[in-house]
Amino acid sequence: MYGWIWRHLPGNAWVKAVISLVLVLAIVFVLFQWVFPWAEPLLPFNDVTVNGGGSAG
Amino acid sequence: MATTEHENDTQVAPATHRRRRGRGRIAATISVIGELLITGGLVLGLFVVYSLWWTNVIADRQAQREGDRVRQHWAQQQAGGGPPGPLDTADGIGFLHVPAMGRNFEVLVKKGTSVDVLNEGVAGYYTDPVKSAMPWDRTGNVTLAAHRDGHGAKFHNIDKIKDGDAIVFETRDTWYVYKVYDILSQTSKYDVHVIDQIPKESGKTKPGRYITLTTCTPVFTSEYRYIVWGELVRTQKADAKRTPPAELG
Repeated sequence: MYGWIWRHLPGNAWVKAVISLVLVLAIVFVLFQWVFPWAEPLLPFNDVTVNGGGSAG
Repeated sequence: MATTEHENDTQVAPATHRRRRGRGRIAATISVIGELLITGGLVLGLFVVYSLWWTNVIADRQAQREGDRVRQHWAQQQAGGGPPGPLDTADGIGFLHVPAMGRNFEVLVKKGTSVDVLNEGVAGYYTDPVKSAMPWDRTGNVTLAAHRDGHGAKFHNIDKIKDGDAIVFETRDTWYVYKVYDILSQTSKYDVHVIDQIPKESGKTKPGRYITLTTCTPVFTSEYRYIVWGELVRTQKADAKRTPPAELG
């Protein structure tokens, strides 16, 4: 998979490396900005309140 | 020579090629699965970084900004002179100081214990299932919640609080000094009676001026709740320089 991506990136090895880095940073940004904030409340790691219902917190 | 070699190649080719291509396809599939698994592991690792570090960065920044705004607001009202206006609770009602959780431990207290409020890196006072009292009420229990990990992790060191430690609630006009008298290091999240106006679980039977801190325990999970109860000892008027009470010295 990564080999396939590498082969399909344009330019020589240096250009490919730079493009890969930008892609990785873009993916990390998307994860931190949108994916993780969305996923976090769905996971049971951070309920801090007492309540009968059980989801807030 | 070259031609013979070539001919030889084409002669041997069909069978080996087919075998090689078949093996290649299996190998490729396995390597894609492997790469996906590695990617999944990296994403999970990043999620840990996100929840234990990045959310703190964001929440601390936001809490700092909002705390500054509340203090500015107070200073303006004081500078304006005259009788203090009606208390503005929209931005936050005050600050909680707990020397046992760190020398300069201070957290802004805002209304509500919803995820949105607590994720700002503040402590929230309960509005549900039992409404919190305010520190200036004649009797009642001031009930607060904050994150143990991530999003500011304001109550991370709640286990450092011992019986007899001071909890100080700072409002615009007054310092309310509480003393811890009971700790429940593990209870169910359904145990809503811990935030009753008279917290019977802490052994109290008469109305009084109490404070209750709640968060999750053990650290990094939400299995149980950790509860700390305190009782008002004294109050101290806030002066113009906001000299903190002796308990915070």
